[in-house]
Amino acid sequence: MSSVREWSDDAGALRRFGLALVRDDRFVFDDVAACALIDKLFRQASLTLVDSPGEDRRAARVRAFGQFIRLYRRYARRLALDEDGGWVEAPPSTRGGGSAAVGVRRLPLELREALLLVALAGFTHCEAAEALDLPLAVVVDRLVRARARLAAHMAAARDAVAAWPQNAYLRIVK
Amino acid sequence: MTGRVDPAETVAYVDNCLDPQARGAFEARLQADPELRCEVAQWESQNRAIRAAFGAPPRSALDLGDASNENVVRRSAESARSVDGAARPFGQARNRCATASPIAPPRPAGPGPTARRLAGAVALAAAIVWVGLPSLGPRPPAGLLAAGAAAARALADLPVEFVAGDPATLAQRLGPRLALAPPLAPDLQLVGARFAPGWRATATLYLYDNARGERVALMVEPLDEFVAIPARRGEADGFSVAAWTGAGYGFVAAARADADVAALVAAAGADDEFLADAGAQRR
Repeated sequence: MSSVREWSDDAGALRRFGLALVRDDRFVFDDVAACALIDKLFRQASLTLVDSPGEDRRAARVRAFGQFIRLYRRYARRLALDEDGGWVEAPPSTRGGGSAAVGVRRLPLELREALLLVALAGFTHCEAAEALDLPLAVVVDRLVRARARLAAHMAAARDAVAAWPQNAYLRIVK
Repeated sequence: MTGRVDPAETVAYVDNCLDPQARGAFEARLQADPELRCEVAQWESQNRAIRAAFGAPPRSALDLGDASNENVVRRSAESARSVDGAARPFGQARNRCATASPIAPPRPAGPGPTARRLAGAVALAAAIVWVGLPSLGPRPPAGLLAAGAAAARALADLPVEFVAGDPATLAQRLGPRLALAPPLAPDLQLVGARFAPGWRATATLYLYDNARGERVALMVEPLDEFVAIPARRGEADGFSVAAWTGAGYGFVAAARADADVAALVAAAGADDEFLADAGAQRR
């Protein structure tokens, strides 16, 4: 019973992580599109993940997250290629807002995936390095950069709110 | 004060990736450094904000981490210590501070005189066979030699990626994985380095110019095996090649002239049959 509950915890965490990762306000703008993409990637991941009997929970979790990340990277690469095969850099998100969610969505993919794995999915740095297939030092460096960028974004949003005139009022439209 | 703390360590603390000992040391520093406390509080509130923004349940208060948690900083320090302690090629270990020689432990009771004489006779016979039949000794892998020859053929005449005539600068630029200061041979001028496909992993191709303006290449590839094997000679597409291993690296010297390869092998300190062969040819 406990193993079923553990797996459902992991599946929920993976879904939450996936929604946060793919909703970037560049290619995927709303939660409906994000859910559709998540379902598609889950189906693909379930086709490629083969159960291994002796695998512990931690290894299975790292493997599932790693496979999901690889599939999403491939999907994002395909989106960024135009019809002629050239690379099109998606413009950064211009949606306003100072929440952490908006700040995370504005991060580049490589910083976003490292930060979300650790801060949202609760991976240790070593597990994140394994899931991302990167050296540990690179993951730590990305985490530091992602946190600094997110902090700068949130501080800028706070400053904008503070700069708003105190006597501003909404115009009454009759 | 925060400037002295590695940001990686701060992030590791906030993400519960420090072992209890390192966590204790970090918390002692936290007590003394209000700026560091402010930074840690900022990262912790950021973690909470991310989890709240995406609907994750709040994390429990800082625990001492799972069994799989590892201390990044401690691992780095241990790794650096093990690298410092390992034997380095090209005589680089001589540049380090001399360490105090440890006290020799008491010798265990050894075999008796008869057994020692017998063992000595066996060792002598093995040495005679080894010297008389060098082909039976260990040989560097043929794949390493072929990879070095292919890299030299394809890349030696291209412009270098890292320009430096100073070995120390070059090693610093290439980072810790390939931080080997290349050997300097008397008649060869170091031009720079390129990355190249090695036998099993990415390798560095150090490039030299000889007096005639021809390129001479030395490929260095990190290997898992630490067995030192003397140089093995070969030829491929007009290149004279010598490959050897030692100290966790595979080396391949490639040049159009035998003398240049011999000079590189000698500068690298790989004494071998190749040097004897080259000397015999020159005589």
